Amino acid sequence: MNADGRARYAGFAFVGPFLLLYLVILIYPLLLGIGLSFDHADLFGARRWAGIDNYVRLLADPVFLRSIVNTIKLALLIVPPLTLIALLLALALNRATRAAAIFRGIFFSSSVLSVTIVTLIWRFILTPDAGLLAYGATALGLAPAPFLSDPSLVIPAVAITTIWWSLGFPTMLFLAGLQQINPDIYEAAALDRAGKWTTFRRITLPSLRRTLLLVVMLQTAAQLQLFGQVQLLTGGGPGGASRTMVLFIYEAAFGRWELGYASAAAELLFVLVLAITLLQYWLVTRREPER
Amino acid sequence: MTSLELLNIRKSYGGTRVLDDVSLEMDDCEFVAFLGPSGSGKSTLLRIIAGLETADAGEVRLAGRRIDQLPPGERNVAMVFQSYALYPHMTVRENMAFGLRNARIPKDEIDARIAQAAEVLEIKDQLDKKPAQMSGGQRQRVAIGRAIVKQPGLFLLDEPLSNLDAALRTRTRVELAQLRRRVAAAVIMVTHDQAEAMTLADRIVVMNERRIQQVGTPMEIYAHPANAFVARFVGSPAMTLAPATLVDSDGGHARVKLSDGAEVGTRIAAKALPAGALRLGLRPEAVSVVAPGAGTTDAEVQLVERLGDRTLVYAKLADGQDITASDQGNSRVTIGQKVGLSIDGAAAHLFGPDDVGHHAEPAT
Amino acid sequence: MSVGPQRDRLGVPALIGVTIGAAIMVTPLIWTLLLSFKSNAELMRSSAAAFSGPYTLENYHAILVGSQIGRWLLNSLIVSLGTTAGVLILSSLAGYGFARLDFPFRRTLFVLVLLGLAIPEQAVILPRHQFFAVLHLHNSYPGLILPGLVAPFAVFFMTQYFRAIPVELDEAAMLDGASRLTLFWKVLLPLTLPAQATLGVFTFLGSWNDYWWPLISATTSDRFTLTVGLASAQMNYAQTSGLGFLMAQAVFASIPILIVYIVFQKQIVRAMAGAAMR
Repeated sequence: MNADGRARYAGFAFVGPFLLLYLVILIYPLLLGIGLSFDHADLFGARRWAGIDNYVRLLADPVFLRSIVNTIKLALLIVPPLTLIALLLALALNRATRAAAIFRGIFFSSSVLSVTIVTLIWRFILTPDAGLLAYGATALGLAPAPFLSDPSLVIPAVAITTIWWSLGFPTMLFLAGLQQINPDIYEAAALDRAGKWTTFRRITLPSLRRTLLLVVMLQTAAQLQLFGQVQLLTGGGPGGASRTMVLFIYEAAFGRWELGYASAAAELLFVLVLAITLLQYWLVTRREPER
Repeated sequence: MTSLELLNIRKSYGGTRVLDDVSLEMDDCEFVAFLGPSGSGKSTLLRIIAGLETADAGEVRLAGRRIDQLPPGERNVAMVFQSYALYPHMTVRENMAFGLRNARIPKDEIDARIAQAAEVLEIKDQLDKKPAQMSGGQRQRVAIGRAIVKQPGLFLLDEPLSNLDAALRTRTRVELAQLRRRVAAAVIMVTHDQAEAMTLADRIVVMNERRIQQVGTPMEIYAHPANAFVARFVGSPAMTLAPATLVDSDGGHARVKLSDGAEVGTRIAAKALPAGALRLGLRPEAVSVVAPGAGTTDAEVQLVERLGDRTLVYAKLADGQDITASDQGNSRVTIGQKVGLSIDGAAAHLFGPDDVGHHAEPAT
Repeated sequence: MSVGPQRDRLGVPALIGVTIGAAIMVTPLIWTLLLSFKSNAELMRSSAAAFSGPYTLENYHAILVGSQIGRWLLNSLIVSLGTTAGVLILSSLAGYGFARLDFPFRRTLFVLVLLGLAIPEQAVILPRHQFFAVLHLHNSYPGLILPGLVAPFAVFFMTQYFRAIPVELDEAAMLDGASRLTLFWKVLLPLTLPAQATLGVFTFLGSWNDYWWPLISATTSDRFTLTVGLASAQMNYAQTSGLGFLMAQAVFASIPILIVYIVFQKQIVRAMAGAAMR
């Protein structure tokens, strides 16, 4: 009635500031980006309508196509091992001992470092003339592998770096998921004389299904957008062997000033990430019974 | 010193009518219980008085002043929530001072009121503790204290005893009764427990299905329930309602026959009774256990509850009608035993097809 | 393999695996640390010199005396603290609004905010760059802070937290004559402190380690954040050939964030667990 009239709009005062920024700094650029992708535009503001020209050019551009392949290769090389290792770590470290807490701390510590620190560290592990791995190899009597200059080795090298860097977050997610499992279920399984492997397969794993899906979805989306490691460690080389899509976008926009072209590539990446994420979601949840 | 008036309150949620034309008048310093099952509308009514909900139609007046348009803080009303709703991050003192500070009451006055309330409620040494450090009973006293210091014209208590275990409940009941004498204000208590209402209230407002069924003192409601619902809701164990037919009206008083053939003479005026199916209402204390054949009728015992001071005997008549009787504490009755039941017709009630209750005329 | 919360010791194979894993995690960090304590001259000849003495502090000295790293550190502090404060304020206000107040289109607007969670950085970063260029916001603190304030996750997080507070507290406060603002400020907000701590640390970390946006928005080296500055140092490495110095910079840059990690470990873990609950 009375105070209600004013109160009905009081809510706007509270959500307003955020919403304003949200619209101006996120939604508006989002729409602008779509528009840009249909233009010939450079970084200095000149715009000309291009229709679907950028997209057509992209799909015929061997550099871009190679970057798609590289991006997918990297994601495939990173996500499964990362998920598996994180799961194993979470299982092993899901206990209340002091040692487990210390180990958890160690495995998570790499995640708080920035990408520039990580690439600095790993550059001098991977590089064949002064790197740590090179010393290890020569000590074993092997030739040091030119990780960063051999096209066939460069993607695995980036993958290893990224896995080292990214372990923390998925491990934490799995730990949280494990802790949500009702311990009574394990006791019931013990009473049903279930062995360790059976318990894992039939009880732990199904209970972790949602977490597993979350980890895979988040990591896939993140690794499809891999940027810093390749920009700093390899520069996309050698010869474009490690150029990812985001690096391509960066080079097109800030190297060659082709803003429209780069925007179109960005939109395509957006669609790719969205499609793969939704596909993963659909594949897993369609087999779940309706809740 | 105030009085509360509710005029034709109506409230719906979506398409569901929750309160249907509710009206009531209360005197200042009266203790009224809103009694009813869940869904009867009693909590909604309380919240409308408090200002936490608005009625679709009708008025609320306190001391002649119309308050239903005012925000909750300006109605001179204080409420004790079922879950106490104490501010977890504030000490007891701050909890009690919060409302007073908002009302811009001077600091000395605030301190004085808190000290006085703390004294009365025996929470003086809890004043600097936080709610989490206190027991349930203590928290309730803080909630009451928070209401007292506001010195409102009307106290609202929402199911004050439901959260407490049995022992604490009895003790708190006594405290509430004592408290009520100390504050010079009206109190409304919402409860679903008829024993609470009976022991604490000056008047009870029995509600069911969104309407007020009866308003009266506890004794009135117990002795003269307005309809079958009130008759069965108040009083434990519930009154037996057995189908009966009118056979005679000797001396103007109705005489009825039960479904198993037994006849009971009542003191209810026959000419006031409506035509149609009747039900005879018997409280357990009106039915006593005797030797088979020596009473008004015979029955088979289904269940025996020994309470110490009396024994409740749940029995079935020959035709299957359930009936509850009361026997002395050391009764030897057992399950399956055939007993005689002596019915005191003078204490009987009759309910017509419209559920309205008819009661014995007072002896002249 | 362990199968559930165990109170006993790790099985031997698992223990070995975890120890090896931990060694792999830590070795790169130790290597970097060792390198930072060697003189550049020695390392020019062979970086294997890192395995033996003499060790020196000359690189750290050079950092504290000469390099721009101090400036970068300051920039990072200003940007990250500014972003964190901004996010906490905006998302608390918005969270309260969405959770407790009823206004037209509330549900639609909330869904709109949630959709923002699905938008990846590259879909907006280029047009945002152009947009900010028009507004002359580049290479400035506002330019670095503003994008970070748009955090749909933060609003979602705070909304859920406010929703979890029982409504009876609001009602009691209303009966106590509190205005909406008093209710927000004195009753509800203090109850969200744990959430604020968690969200604050999470936001701080994300802002501190942000790479792409500061890279393209800060154009002069005196505006670089630590993360970007370190990247530029890395790229200039070829010219300077100061490996020890470079590694010292890496260690130096790690210290603030590792301190935050150690101090706020609980909050960080809680933030992760909170994300898992989604």
